[in-house]
Amino acid sequence: MISALSALALGLAILPAGAAEKPVALIIAQGGLGDQSYNDLAYSGFKKALAQDKLEGKAVESKDVVAQAADILRRASDAGFGLVVDLEYSHGDPLAAVAKDYPDTDYVILNQVKPGANVASILFQEQEGSYLAGALATLVAKDASIKGMSGKPVIGVIGGTKSVGIDKFIVGYIEGARAVDPNVEVKVAYSNNFGDPALGLQMAKAMFDGGANVVYQVAGGTGLGVIQAAKDAGKFAIGVDTDQDGVAPGAVLTSMIKRTDVAVETVMKDYAGHAFPGGKTVTLGLAQNGVGLSPMSHTKDKIPAATLAKVDDLKTKILSGEIKVWNAVDQGYPPFFK
Amino acid sequence: MIDAFLHAAIVMTTPILLAAIGGLVNRIGGIVNIGLESMMLGGALIAVMVSAQTGSAGLAILAALVTGAVLGLLMSLVITRLSANEIIVGLGFSVATAGLVRFFLKSVYGVSGTYNPAGVAMLPPIDIPALHAAPVLGAIVSGQDALTWLAWALVPATAFALRRTRWGLRLRATGAAEATVRAVGLAPLTIRDASTVFAGALAGLAGAHLSIGVVGLFNEGISGGRGFIALAAFYFGRSSPWRTALGALLFGGFDAAQIRLQGHWIPAELLQALPYAIVIAVLTGLGLADRRAERSGRMG
Repeated sequence: MISALSALALGLAILPAGAAEKPVALIIAQGGLGDQSYNDLAYSGFKKALAQDKLEGKAVESKDVVAQAADILRRASDAGFGLVVDLEYSHGDPLAAVAKDYPDTDYVILNQVKPGANVASILFQEQEGSYLAGALATLVAKDASIKGMSGKPVIGVIGGTKSVGIDKFIVGYIEGARAVDPNVEVKVAYSNNFGDPALGLQMAKAMFDGGANVVYQVAGGTGLGVIQAAKDAGKFAIGVDTDQDGVAPGAVLTSMIKRTDVAVETVMKDYAGHAFPGGKTVTLGLAQNGVGLSPMSHTKDKIPAATLAKVDDLKTKILSGEIKVWNAVDQGYPPFFK
Repeated sequence: MIDAFLHAAIVMTTPILLAAIGGLVNRIGGIVNIGLESMMLGGALIAVMVSAQTGSAGLAILAALVTGAVLGLLMSLVITRLSANEIIVGLGFSVATAGLVRFFLKSVYGVSGTYNPAGVAMLPPIDIPALHAAPVLGAIVSGQDALTWLAWALVPATAFALRRTRWGLRLRATGAAEATVRAVGLAPLTIRDASTVFAGALAGLAGAHLSIGVVGLFNEGISGGRGFIALAAFYFGRSSPWRTALGALLFGGFDAAQIRLQGHWIPAELLQALPYAIVIAVLTGLGLADRRAERSGRMG
């Protein structure tokens, strides 16, 4: 740990002078680089921004990223980084505390809002992407010409835990489903566990047995079991966070992707352009390309063009502001989902 | 609907039952095995690796069994030969194995937490055509895999072995009266180690059931605390394999039930806490019954 951090400090000393801004640190979250998911995606945005905005910077990986939160942040601040982008969710409070002591350094935290004039918070409008997923799922479920679909508007969603952060996805999904069919039945269940694929498989199996055609997973590792169950049952799953369509090609209808790369890129661009959104909350939705459905490379051919066009139409309406998707975090629970 | 529920209940009982039978034997031999979770995790990972490499579910199961057994032996030696505290060692094993598995996946496959190789051969379900269409019974017995059959076959086998065989007697004596075992010229520590190896092997199989019997991939959370649930099951069962099986079935059944009851009228959080609450209630009940029996015994 200590050696890694001193290497970090040394690294700064050899950074070439002359870059317009002080360098940027990207603090990697649990799971580390190579997770083919959250961290890797963010890192790709980081590298792109370094090149585009002619910034210097480096990724900071730590073995004990949760327990050493404040320590890592302080070292990075002492090492002279001008911007610290922290991917680790549990760093919220330590980051807010450290930021107070380093008014000349800028900080970014994701998926939560933290106070401080030099802290920018980034939120994703997951409900917008989930809305499109729900609409697509319902349209596909009702289309008996698609292999495996019953033709009845019955779909499902499995959340990792009963919390407003997860229900934000679920509420958006249900709203999107109801937008294309007010009589849709959306089965909702929570696994209470983000890492148990065997449980996820059984839960999804129960939903498919109960008539669901498409099940959206918002449950991390547990959700891998949902995808497996869809494959076994000849139905569809919907992936989350990253493009999971390739996990079981053909069994994953689409994935609701959160573009952490876009988030990191956006905020670094602002920083390089002396427009860092300190003290502000940046929300990235469909309009900013911060969330969205995957390109559906394995399933696009199976879905009628009219269905895809309908989903695109809904997307346009969200972009134009004609549809405002319910945000459970800001607005509480809607009447259709208590 | 009821058929699907029963089938799922049996599937979800299997890993708990396998580990609990192992833990029961281990406990009778004198070690409370807190490390079952780690052996389950190790078995689950090896099973996926071997299955993807060889395309053989049989070899994968064998490898999981050996992995669990080796982990069990290591843990046992630390406890019996170095006189380390079994609780600390067991917990340490669980934590260390989780970390090692993560490290292994990262360094060998470059993946984080999930290993999902192509070509994993799944453990085939055994269909019983004669019973398949039978209501209730068909759902329970047909379409289960070999490990489920093994788990349930072990219940009477273990009961018989503990009660009626020389090995069973020696094991019970090792747990209850170590000095006596030593006095008759047997090696209690070796017997104890053997019981942990047995527990480890079964926990390894439990892991294989999850990874190649149920889902077909490995995730670092795949054991999902079932090693600790197994602990509760064999405590619930005390020294009886049948009662242990009942405990395992209770957990498996509630897991399957809560999945289906969710979204109807009971809050999810309450449902998920229910099995644990019931075990506490049952253990309390058993404890009270024991105390009453003891008291009336004393009076009589």
